[in-house]
This record gives sequence, structure tokens and C-alpha cells, in this order.
Amino acid sequence: MQIAPDYLRTVALFQDLNHDALSTVSALLVAKKVPAGAVIFRELDNSDALYLVEAGEVVISKHVQGPVDVVLTTFSRGDFFGEMGLFDAGPRSATAQAKVDSLLWGLERKAFMNILSDHPEIGAKICYRLVSVFIDRLRSTNEQAREAIRWGLEATGYSPAANRALFDRKST
Amino acid sequence: MSDPAKLQLLTRSSGESGFEIFQVDSGQAYSGFKPQRPPRSEWELRRQPLALDGTRNFVLNSLRQDRYLLLNSKEHFLWEQFDGRNSLEEIARAFHLEYGAFDYALIREFLAKLYHAGLIEGHRTLAPLSNFVRANGSSRAGRLGRLVDAWRRFALRSTDADRYCSMIYLWGGFILFYRAAFWLVVAIAAVALAAAFRLAAHSMEFARILSTQPFLSTAVILLTLAAASMLHVLAHAIACKAHGRRVREIGFFLLQGVLPTFYADVTDIFMSNRRARLMVDLAGPMVEVFLGSLAMLTAHLADPGVGQALLFGVGVLLWESALINLYPFSFLELDGYNILADSIAMPMLRKQTLALIPNLPQRLLRLRTIQRAEMIQIGYFVLCVVSVLVYVVLHLDVIGGVLPVSSQ
Repeated sequence: MQIAPDYLRTVALFQDLNHDALSTVSALLVAKKVPAGAVIFRELDNSDALYLVEAGEVVISKHVQGPVDVVLTTFSRGDFFGEMGLFDAGPRSATAQAKVDSLLWGLERKAFMNILSDHPEIGAKICYRLVSVFIDRLRSTNEQAREAIRWGLEATGYSPAANRALFDRKST
Repeated sequence: MSDPAKLQLLTRSSGESGFEIFQVDSGQAYSGFKPQRPPRSEWELRRQPLALDGTRNFVLNSLRQDRYLLLNSKEHFLWEQFDGRNSLEEIARAFHLEYGAFDYALIREFLAKLYHAGLIEGHRTLAPLSNFVRANGSSRAGRLGRLVDAWRRFALRSTDADRYCSMIYLWGGFILFYRAAFWLVVAIAAVALAAAFRLAAHSMEFARILSTQPFLSTAVILLTLAAASMLHVLAHAIACKAHGRRVREIGFFLLQGVLPTFYADVTDIFMSNRRARLMVDLAGPMVEVFLGSLAMLTAHLADPGVGQALLFGVGVLLWESALINLYPFSFLELDGYNILADSIAMPMLRKQTLALIPNLPQRLLRLRTIQRAEMIQIGYFVLCVVSVLVYVVLHLDVIGGVLPVSSQ
């Protein structure tokens, strides 16, 4: 199965690459068809690859308690996820599941390491884009953390003396 | 299990350029937290009548902190769950089963309101971890903003009002709340109205006389209106006492940050029934009706001259003041509005309407999705706009009629 070059250009990770570089990268990608509901990887699984979404939707969630996960984000065509797996063999930080039938392309860590060693100029461009994405996602995580902390604080009574909507009747 | 992690919080005071840092246990944020109401002796809950929009409200009074909250049915459901035995997670599940939806924001906001009113155990005042960090300098705009804010919040109040009102009530104020007293005022007003019609034939002459004594006229009218306004507010407060409820305070403030106004805080009347609230609402305007009637009757008996003209003018102004107070559609929370809001059991009608206005065009585009409460709010809004316009036009006409007289 061949990846469409037009699609690859839409992936932010590869937007700095020229035609030859894209060809080099596309030769290393492995297709993965995932039916709706199937798990692509689970939280705490070993990390080994990054995935690009060509078609469908993938939900990223993190376990909270019992049967409850919190949805962190949803990815669709042109997005990618699992990027920590390119650098770190540690456990996955979240679970990825297909929301609908999806077509993904996997880039394994070993293949990525080969790009870095054999084509360092391509590797540098990809790494630059990855850092940008890391920054965006970190910002988003900070926002989520802020909301969660705010919830916890307000729900358990910690708050500065804000003027809450009290009820009164001043007859004039 | 390891100790909960520590969170450091930075807070800023309004109007100040510094900050303080506090430290709390993150473990307090666990969903296993079990909110608990204070003991039954420390709060009072009163179910309100069914509102015109089909909803039901409750008023919750924190006896410990003397604060009141208006609860909707969902918040009341949550309140019933906060018994110290159910965790937030269990409460959220029960909420979902009851209402078919899971609304974390509602739970969070309601809890925050309860903490603020001292109605949930365990409110934690943040203790500073470090000294207050103050930024250098203070902008001119900041100083001006604080000045405007202080002006808007300006108020004089007596928090011992309940004791004084109790004394006034016991020492004769109770007579005002006999049914006979009400009908006596109505009878006097009817006779005064007949007298006013007879005097109305001389109204242009009265206006001319008053225009020859502008300082005297203005001083007498202002003093009379101020005195009537104080008695009006006192009547609200004593009516509240007549129904066995507490007057939280009496004072003076700037209505909407602009209009100097006396007020009586009679929120406690929500712990009584709707009839009691209507009596409290009506007691104030009855003062103007009574005083205006006395002024009109005295004018009728007085000899022609400045005194008669002043009495006639004061009578008309007091009656007009009573009418304005009793008219519900003015965008202000005057007595007529309170009567309307209490009659339809929608005490937040004005605030809800003002909140709806920015979204009104969008809501009108989706007429089919408009709910009954919104229909009532839109109706209130339209009537207010029309009323204000009519009032302005009518008074422009009066001004136009008076000006030629003044210039003579």
C-alpha cells in the first residue's frame, strides 16, 4: 500500500520537507487499518512508534477512575499522535482508540533513528516541527491542569474571598 | 499512601498591583470528597411558590453568616445530597440519574456559593505562604478606577435596624397593619382624589405661583420627598417585622451607582410566605399615597397662595412617586417590580432579563427553541422599553407645557 504524496504534505510534521525528503520518509511508513472502537495502544504500553492519521478519527484518553477515562483530544486527517514514542521507550502516557474506521501510518522509533543518522538534515526539520507541536500540546495541558485545579479548589472550599452571587431584597 | 502533593497558588487583590502565595494540599481535590451541610440549627430553607415559568426556587439562609442564597431545583437537589455521606462522585452520579445530564460546572459553582455563604463545612481561608509582594508605582487610571468603585459602593447603613424596627412596631407601628388602617388610607385617598380634581382647575395658577418662589419651592419639595422616602423605607421594614421576620439593615446607597436612595434590606421576608412579601412591597408606596392625600386635602382646605400651591405640588409629586414605585416595568427594582416578581415567583426576573438582552437577536432567530421563562423575560423587556419611552415622551410634553409659564 502506497501513501499519497499529497496527503503527506498536509501533515504539519513534514511541512518543511521537499519532494525527495518526503519520498525518503514515505518509504519508512507502515500502513495500519484500524476498525472503529479498536485500541491502537493503551496507556502504560511500551512506546515504539508515532502515527499519522490519513482517514478517520482517533480519540486520546487518560484513565481517571474505574471505567472512567478523560478525553484529552481527538485527532483526524492530517494529525499525528504518539510522538513521545519516537524518543522514549517508556510507557504510553494515554490510550489511543479509533472512533471510526481509520487509516493510519506508523513511523517506528527504529526507522526514525535511521533518518536522524542517515539524513540528519531531514531529521532536523522533523525535530523542529516536533518541538513546535510539543510546545502547543504543553500549553494545552497547562490549561487543562489549571481547570482541573480550579475545579478541585472550588469544590473543596479553597478560594479567595470572591463575591459570589448572594441573594437579597433591598426595598427602596 | 503518600502525603498529598502541595499546590502553590498565587492570588491578586483587586485594585492592588501585588500578589500573595498560598499553599494547599492537592489531595483535597479528590472526587472522594464528601461535602457536608452545617448542623440543622445553622440554616433555614424555604420553598418558594411555583413560578410562572414552571420552575421552583428555594431560599436558603445561613443563620451563621446572615447570608441568603436563591436555589433552583437542581441546586436544591444537590443541597439535599450534601449530607457528608455522599462523595462528589456519588452525588454526580445521582444528579445524572435525576436529570439525565452531568453538569460539573453547576456542582462546582454551587459549592463555591455555599462556601461563600458559610453553608458547607470546611471552608478554608487561604493563609499566605509568603509576604505580600507589592509592585512599585500606582497608575493614575488605577487610582481613578478605585475612586469610581468606591463611589459606586458608597453606602451608609445601620446594622442595628432590626432592634429599632422592633421597638417602633411594638410601640404603635403594629396599628398600621390592621386591615382597618389600609381601608382608612384608601378612603382618605379617594376623598383626596376628588379634592385634587377640583384643585386641578387651578394647576396653571399654582405653577405660576411656585415659579415666583423657586428656592422655597425646590427646598420644600426636596425635603418632603426625602422625608417621604425615609418613611417609605421604614414602612417596608416595619411590615417585615409585622410578619415576624428580621430587618437586616436600613441605609442609604446609590441605586445603580447613581440615584441616591434609602433602602431596607428585607431579604428575610423570603423565609415567610408570598402574601407577607406582597404586604412588605405595598407598605412603602402606601406611605406616599397617605402623605400625598393629606397634602392634597390640606391644599383643598387652605387659602389661596404659596402654601396652597406648595401643598398641591407636594401632593401631586408624592402620588406620582407612589405610581412610579408601583409601576413594575421600569428596568428598576422598585416596589412594583417586587410585587410583579413575587406574584409570578420569579425573584430574579430583572437580572435574568438583562442577561438575556445581549443574546436576544440570536434567540429571536430561533423562536421555536425559546423557553417559557425566556418568553416572560422578553415580555418584561418589551414592556419596560415601551414604558420608559412613553414616560419620557409624556414628561417632555409636561416640560414643554411648563416652560412658557416659567418664562413669563
